[in-house]
Order: sequence, then structure tokens, then C-alpha cells
Amino acid sequence: MTAGGFWNRFLIPGAAWLLLLFLVPLVFVLALSFGYVDDLGRAVYATDFDNYADAFDPTYFPVLLRSVGFALATTVLCLLIGYPVAYYIARFGGRYRNVLIVLLVLPFFVNYLVRTYAWVALLADEGLVNNAIVDLGIVNEPIQMINTPWAVIGGLTYGYLVFMILPVYGSLERLDKSVIEAGKDLYGTRLQTFLHVTLPQTKQGILAGSVLVFLPAVGDFVAAQLLGGPDTYMVGNLIQDQFFAANNWPFGAALTVVMMLFLSIWMIAYLRSAARDVRGAAI
Amino acid sequence: MTDLSRRQLLQAGAGMALAAYGLSGCTVERQVDRSAEGRIIKPEVDGDLLLYNWAQYMDPALKKEFGEKYGVEVNEVNFDNLEAMVIKLRSGASYDLIWPSTEYVYRLNQEGLLARFDRSLLKNNDNISPFYDSPWWDPNNELGIPYTYYTTGIAWRTDEVSGMEGSWNDLLNPDAAGRMFILDDFQEAIGEANLINGFDLNTPNPDELETSKETLLQQKENARGFSTNSVQNLVTGSAVMHQAWNGDIVNVRNQVDEPELYQYETCKEGVPVGTDLMSIPITARSPGTAMLFMDWIIDPENSARNVRWNGYPQPVEGAKQQFAELVKEAPSIDVDLEALADSALEYRLDDAEARQLWTETFTEVKAG
Repeated sequence: MTAGGFWNRFLIPGAAWLLLLFLVPLVFVLALSFGYVDDLGRAVYATDFDNYADAFDPTYFPVLLRSVGFALATTVLCLLIGYPVAYYIARFGGRYRNVLIVLLVLPFFVNYLVRTYAWVALLADEGLVNNAIVDLGIVNEPIQMINTPWAVIGGLTYGYLVFMILPVYGSLERLDKSVIEAGKDLYGTRLQTFLHVTLPQTKQGILAGSVLVFLPAVGDFVAAQLLGGPDTYMVGNLIQDQFFAANNWPFGAALTVVMMLFLSIWMIAYLRSAARDVRGAAI
Repeated sequence: MTDLSRRQLLQAGAGMALAAYGLSGCTVERQVDRSAEGRIIKPEVDGDLLLYNWAQYMDPALKKEFGEKYGVEVNEVNFDNLEAMVIKLRSGASYDLIWPSTEYVYRLNQEGLLARFDRSLLKNNDNISPFYDSPWWDPNNELGIPYTYYTTGIAWRTDEVSGMEGSWNDLLNPDAAGRMFILDDFQEAIGEANLINGFDLNTPNPDELETSKETLLQQKENARGFSTNSVQNLVTGSAVMHQAWNGDIVNVRNQVDEPELYQYETCKEGVPVGTDLMSIPITARSPGTAMLFMDWIIDPENSARNVRWNGYPQPVEGAKQQFAELVKEAPSIDVDLEALADSALEYRLDDAEARQLWTETFTEVKAG
């Protein structure tokens, strides 16, 4: 047995896991998406394309646009909040770096659903925040914070922030400090050095973080369901409703497939960009 | 009250749980063990019990005492949505007693998954409200025993909203502008719009549904959102008006400082009534013990204890009086099914095409 053959065996558990728990269910979703619902409400496998025709019904365009819009806003917010945090920890965290990262990650061990519920209690009209600012005389009347698009974007940002911070932190930590010093030696101001040296060097971290935030945010349903208002219905809610309210699993499956294809486009674009950068770095 | 927002929390969690059940389950049919099929079930001990119920839906003391009285073990497992329950039953899993809604009783029976039993063999049969005599989902009274029921109406805060008229049009009350919620449930939302427009509650007519869609879009202008989380929305002050189930308002009043401000009305255009039931699946191993257990639950004293524990009205003698006692400060929450007579209505969607039309209509309202 060659050394390579020996080590390849360690791939078997992972491959089996992916095959059984990812690929097989995916095939079922795909098969189901061509099915229909019988009179008893049971999903039946078939070879209809009706569900796909329905998925492109103009009714759903605003939902898709809204989801992409919310996810983009979330990604930008995560970057604006996450980058400085990662930057500070990577450059000035010193020996507390790992502690700070653990502290950042810790809240994310709590279920996302529960954390989002906590926001409802905090931001409701007679919630802790509104009561506090009314009592302090900052405002006279409570401000409506939840059940707005902003609350949904805020909830998504909070939910996925850590996925931005970690890859950006990784790229900043790997950054050779002497490069920054070189930038300053060449009479670059702090801003110039950041824009022309640090930022380009951490581009892959930013891209990875953006993809990790954007993809789950597009399909999210929890934030809109708990923090949303009358005009915040997202694709995730649409899909969830097909399974648990409309009892139309085949249509839910078709929507899922369409969305996965849509998200794959972004994923492939990211992978190509990453591969190009790696090649560039090698040269 | 341990069951503050069971439906709401679980609904949100259901999507996450979906992966655990696996999509494959929905059409894979294995050979079902039809042990309870085709024999007369006598209410006598024939083994231990395995109950399949919503979490936190029954006073655990009742299980314990039943077990002690009859010398059996009573175990319980929980589902967090009814689809998951159906999938388990289709795959042949064995339970002795399940808690479906009326619509699911109808569906499960159509699929041949429910055992038939003779309700008159239960000692407490006469305790059951006559409202449940030959309902559409069980014309021969042989598929289920009502466990809890809930009427749909409007809850509001008297310190914020005035001019309530006992009509579904109260949802347009300007006092509640931007602080009113419609239930995030396609049947409840379209249902009240149908009633406003004078249509049959369960109309499958596309033109009528189109009109009701317009009604809902108009209400949406006045709304702050679609939600089934009426307890939290009212308690946290985000809502001053909420289309709501009466049992939830009991929980609201238990959680706020000034319960007298929170009122509930049913509407003159019609009062939708929903029911959860106890049924015996054909896979039951101890259907006889399950019969005894149903009898135990609808016993006047036990049902009263159960109502005190979970806060939901039960349509059986004893429980009725206990619920009236629980809400005596706000008698409008206590809806007498018999007194409703013609205005009590049940949702009935037993046609796949109509259901799709309804859900599409509601999606259009929410997506628009």
C-alpha cells in the first residue's frame, strides 16, 4: 500500500457523511420538485415541470428581490462592523487575541432562534430598550423598532456577523506586518497604507466572509418571521410555508432547487475569484 | 401556564427540524403494522401506553396517576408539527394515542391510518359537548375525542382602542393603525376576509377568493405584521389589536400587570372554531388502554385539572366550568359552543386544489 492510499482512507468517513446526509437528501429534493400533491395532501413523485413554472410566477419576484436586498444590506453591515473588530483583535489584541475570539464566538453557541426571540423582548414597543429610553426622557413615545425591514436586516446582521469576522480575522492575522511598515516607509499615510496595502491583502478574507454571510442570509426565514412586519416576506418564509402551511412539498422543493442554483452562481463566482488570486500569488 | 406560545415557537422551529425528519419520509410507505385494525376495541388494559402529543400539552400528573391506577407505564413522545406526525404514522411507527387537529383526523382517516372505536363505550361519553356529534371530519363519531378547542376572534387593549363593534371589520379600526396583527395562518386570514364579504367560510371559488384577497390587502395597510405569536405581541406592547385564538388571551392576561385591559371578542359575521382531538392510530399496540386513557382525560375532574394546567378550553363537562372560572373576569374569552349555534364554523379543506388556491392567495397577500 502506498502512503497516499493509506491517508486516502481517512477521507471515507467524511465522504460517507456527505453522501448520506447531503447528497442523498438533495437527490430526494430534486426528485420531489417534479412531483405533485394528491387529494389526500401526499406528495407524489412525477415528472411535471409545473412547479418550476410556478416558481417563476411574477408574484414571487418581489420576494426574491427583497431577500437579495436584505442579504446584501446584511453583508455590507457585517463587513462594516466586522472588519474593524477583526482588525483590532488581529493587530492590537496581543496575548488576549484568542480570548477575544472565544468571547465573540461564545454567544453563537446559543440557538439562532432563541437569540432572535431575545431581540423581540428587547426591542418591542414596551420592551427593555423602549422602556429605558422613555424613562430616561430621551423620547416621549416608544419607537417602533421591531416588525420593520430594519429589524430584519439587524437580526440577520447579528445572526451572521461571526461568519464575517472569522475569515477576515484569519486573513489579517496572516498579514505580514512588515508589509504595512513598508507602506509607511514609502510615505504612505495611514489611510493610504490601509487602502493600498492592508485591504487588498485581506480581499480573500472579505470575499469569504461575504459569501458566508450572504448565502445563508438570502435563505433565512427566522429573522423575517420573528422580527418582520407586513412587508418583509422572504424566500425562506415562502419555502417554509410550502412545507408547513400550504402542505405543498413539491413546490417547496422546486423553490429550494431554484434557490440553490441561484446561490451556486454566487458560490462559483467566489471560488473562481479565489482560485485566480491563489494563482496570482503563486506567480 | 407552561404553554405560553407552543404553536408559535414550534412553528418557527419546525423548519429547522425538517432536516431531522428527512424529506425522503414523505412518500416512502412501508408495510404498516395494522394491529388495531378491524377489531372492536374494548376499553380495558391491553398493555403499556405510548402517547404522541404536542409538548407541554397535558398535565403530567394525569399520566402518572393513570399509570398507578391501572398498573401500566405511560410514556410520551412529542412532535413539533402535524406533518411530522403524519410522516411517522405513514412509516409504520407505533403509537397508542395521537393528538391531531380535525383536518388531520380527516386526512389520516382517508389514508386508512386511524382505528375506529365505539365512543359510547366510554363512561364519560355524555360529557362531550354535543357540538361534536357527527362533525364533517367524523360523521359516525368513531375517529376521535375532542381534547381542546379554540375560537378565533379579535383581542384588543381597551386603553388604546375604542369603538369596537364585534365585527371582523374592527381590524380596520384606526386606533390600532400600525399596531394590529393578522394571524399568520392562511386559513384564519382568508377565513375572516371571506366572512366579511359574506362568502362561505371555506369557499373554493376563485373570484370570491380574489375579493377576499383585496379585503386582506386593505387590512394589511392597517397592520404591523402577520404573526401567530399573539401572546408575545400583546404582552410586549407591539400589538394593541390581534386576530387571536381565545386560549392565548388567557395566557396574555396571566402575564400582564393589568389583565382587565385585555379583552377578546368574537365576531358577528362568524366564529371559526378549531379543535385538537385524541385518536387511536391503527398501529396502536394497546388500543384498549388508549380507550381507558381517553376516558380518563375527559373525566370531569381530570379535565378540569388539565385546563388549570394548560389554559386551553376543553369541550367536556368539568373542563368547561373550570375554564369559565379561569376567565371569569373576562367572560368574552369563554365561548360557549352550543350557544354559538349557526355562527360557529369549522375550517374544512379536504380538496387539494382548493387548498392550493387558498395558500397561493395568502402568499400573494404576504408577498405583495
